[in-house]
Amino acid sequence: MEILANLVNVALIVAMLRTTAPILLVALGGSFTTKAGIFNIGLEGQMLVGAFFAVLGSIWSGSAFVGVVCGVAAALVFALIFAVLVVSFRANEVVVGLALNILAGGMTISMMKAIFGTRGSIVGQGIVGLPKVQIPGAKALLGSWAPLISGYTPMVYVAFLAVPLLILFYKRTRLGLYIRVVGEKPEAAEALGISITRIRYIASLLCGLLAGLAGAHLSLGYITMFTENMSSGRGFMAVAILIFSNGDPFKVLAGCLLFGFADAFSLRLQTFGFPSYLILAVPYLVALAALFALSYRSRPKIIRETVETMRRLLAAEKTPAAEPEKTLPR
Amino acid sequence: MSNAPSAAAADNAVEIIGITKRFGAFTANENVNLTVRRGEIHAIIGENGAGKTTLMNILFGLLQPDEGKIRIDGGDVVFTDPAAAIAAGLGMVHQHFKLVPSLSVAENVFLGMEIGRNGLIDHAAQIEKTRGLSERVGLKVDPTERVGLLSVGIEQRIEILKVLVRGARTIILDEPTAVLTPQESRELFQTLRRFVAEGMTVIFISHHLEEVMEVSDTVTVLRNGKHVATRSTAELSKADLVRMMVGRDVSFDRRPREATHGKIVLDVRNLWARDERRLPALRDVSFTVRAGEIVGIAGVAGNGQTELAEVLAGLRPASHGEARLNGRDLTTLAPAEIRKAGFAHVPGDRMVRGVDGGASISSNLLMGRQHKAPWSLRGLLDWKAADKEAEAMIKRFDIRARGPHDTVKRLSGGNIQKVVLAREFTNDPDFLLIDQPTRGVDIGAQEAIHSEIMNQRAAGRAVLVISVQLDELLTLADRILVLFNGRIMGEVAGDKAADETIGMMMAGLQPAGKERELAL
Repeated sequence: MEILANLVNVALIVAMLRTTAPILLVALGGSFTTKAGIFNIGLEGQMLVGAFFAVLGSIWSGSAFVGVVCGVAAALVFALIFAVLVVSFRANEVVVGLALNILAGGMTISMMKAIFGTRGSIVGQGIVGLPKVQIPGAKALLGSWAPLISGYTPMVYVAFLAVPLLILFYKRTRLGLYIRVVGEKPEAAEALGISITRIRYIASLLCGLLAGLAGAHLSLGYITMFTENMSSGRGFMAVAILIFSNGDPFKVLAGCLLFGFADAFSLRLQTFGFPSYLILAVPYLVALAALFALSYRSRPKIIRETVETMRRLLAAEKTPAAEPEKTLPR
Repeated sequence: MSNAPSAAAADNAVEIIGITKRFGAFTANENVNLTVRRGEIHAIIGENGAGKTTLMNILFGLLQPDEGKIRIDGGDVVFTDPAAAIAAGLGMVHQHFKLVPSLSVAENVFLGMEIGRNGLIDHAAQIEKTRGLSERVGLKVDPTERVGLLSVGIEQRIEILKVLVRGARTIILDEPTAVLTPQESRELFQTLRRFVAEGMTVIFISHHLEEVMEVSDTVTVLRNGKHVATRSTAELSKADLVRMMVGRDVSFDRRPREATHGKIVLDVRNLWARDERRLPALRDVSFTVRAGEIVGIAGVAGNGQTELAEVLAGLRPASHGEARLNGRDLTTLAPAEIRKAGFAHVPGDRMVRGVDGGASISSNLLMGRQHKAPWSLRGLLDWKAADKEAEAMIKRFDIRARGPHDTVKRLSGGNIQKVVLAREFTNDPDFLLIDQPTRGVDIGAQEAIHSEIMNQRAAGRAVLVISVQLDELLTLADRILVLFNGRIMGEVAGDKAADETIGMMMAGLQPAGKERELAL
């Protein structure tokens, strides 16, 4: 009981919200492209360049805010390249996304080498991290529960506030509606004079914006440093969440919280002396299990059909074309 | 319109003058003239491929003509996109609806012209206006319902509302009744009548003679992309229309035949099946097909024909009942087993289930028998033999192609269908299921296909033909069964069948004189 109390407390929830934020941001960004009918596997790369250029901007200007802007700008450039290739030139989304991910990984490493002469990570060097936002009156109101709502870096608030905003966006704004229509029934959009190309560009860029913010949060949020490949699969995890949430903001939030919880929980377990590499796998295992459970209900048609055919085949073998003792209807 | 229209021209809602449209070497419309007077229902009729849809797409700005011009309300116009046509007061209800399933009826109606308030979409106002409009014009819909849950009939109403909300005064409907039940068609016609009574103009494309005779004021006939005639409907008989459509007297003559009924090959008993929505699509269907007999299944599309074909072919589970082919119950077999049992299948949608469009004629002809001689040699494919076989089939079935290596999707619809027939008919089956034998096939090829089907009958095979074209069944079938709402409404002998009798059964009514209770 004591162990459980140690495991689950306010600090764990705080840690969960904190670790949820970057993946939530990037997944919400991906929600735009998913809804617009683009399978955007390039989230990982956009986030990574976002993180790297946020650090660069922060060092050069001495301002965390300028850093965030630089990170977002870099992610937007990647998003634009993605949109040009995929929307205008109709290149394969997966190929382009993967290529951009690889480019992001290689580019950040070689630029790090060129600018800082190091490999591995950029630490110190005058990186200015994002300040923590203390909400006034939180302490007085909630006492020891105050850390639940106060003291996060700005991107955490941005991420969680984006969820209701996106719900509103899809439900009540023209652009949100058009993004959905373009994704679901492009010929309907076309017939009504809605430009599919324009809407998909906008969706791609909105995605880049949030992916850039997510990257900036990684490198300027709780740790102010950049390490090689520091997005470490969050972009891919976001893609997985997007596939099963179909880009619905609320479901995206649920999926991200689950991942964040597992992440925070594994950190907590580490203090109990479990082997660290095993523990690092926990969030991914949890996410896998959850996705599997979720996807079983809405499993893709191809799997459903295969299962059905196999069942029929087996049934056919069991009942050779002999006795027809079948019950008639009614 | 800016040009001051003359008094006579102002009576014309639409004038199409000398329109020509080519797609490569193919001329879809050649110097077509069409004048539609304001306040009339104008039917455009012609066979598949006569150029009806192309002409309407040009009128609506979806295609650009190579030659010719268009006048709306007496003024010259050039539509570079549908938006311009909409602005000029045209509206089009496409054959394939362009609705978004996850959105509500009201959202679909106002899509692209949302009512806004404070920068947000005002759903309440949209719902209110949709309801108001729907009540005013008598097209009943629930504006809050999700479109994905609604039937095609209601979807069509939504498409019409969409057109009205955009201020259309002339409505173009492309084959509006193809997807409707007879009941829904009647309601649609009443609606169209009300529209013209209010001064609107309706153009509708069709190839159903009955409905053209019933509802239109004026008919324009197109044939092979050319304008044949525009006449007042009242002056015409059905036979006149057919003659104009086809360009010659078409005999609905039955193919000559001898009575060669053999043993029962297919025996379907109390068959039930469900559709995608898990609703019963086949209800207690029982019939037999004998060797050397052609049985026809008639009915309005969507009354269980597809499901029947799929159940027999092993592509859809039966919920009850059995279908025995030479004694083996097909409902328990997988498709490969069913084929092995002597079953040949010409599917209704040839591009989906009939052929692999990207593959060559040779490959398509060997599919499903690649393990048999002469296509296979000691476990390896013998392409030389396959090509030789394909060449023989191309000759025998008169497939118009450059050779066995021609890609199938490059062929015309009729020739693709012949590829399917060639494969299925030469498998030496006991039973042939032919779903829509001549859908999208030109007249010449139709006759060839019909002859092949008759040959199969003469060879002692049991044939089941499913078709939405009644004439086809009257030409081919020994007996015709009518499906309505998943039930067999009745059976008529092919040589004694009258259009009216079958028509009534297709509408779900028992023919007069046969006071049998409706088995519903």
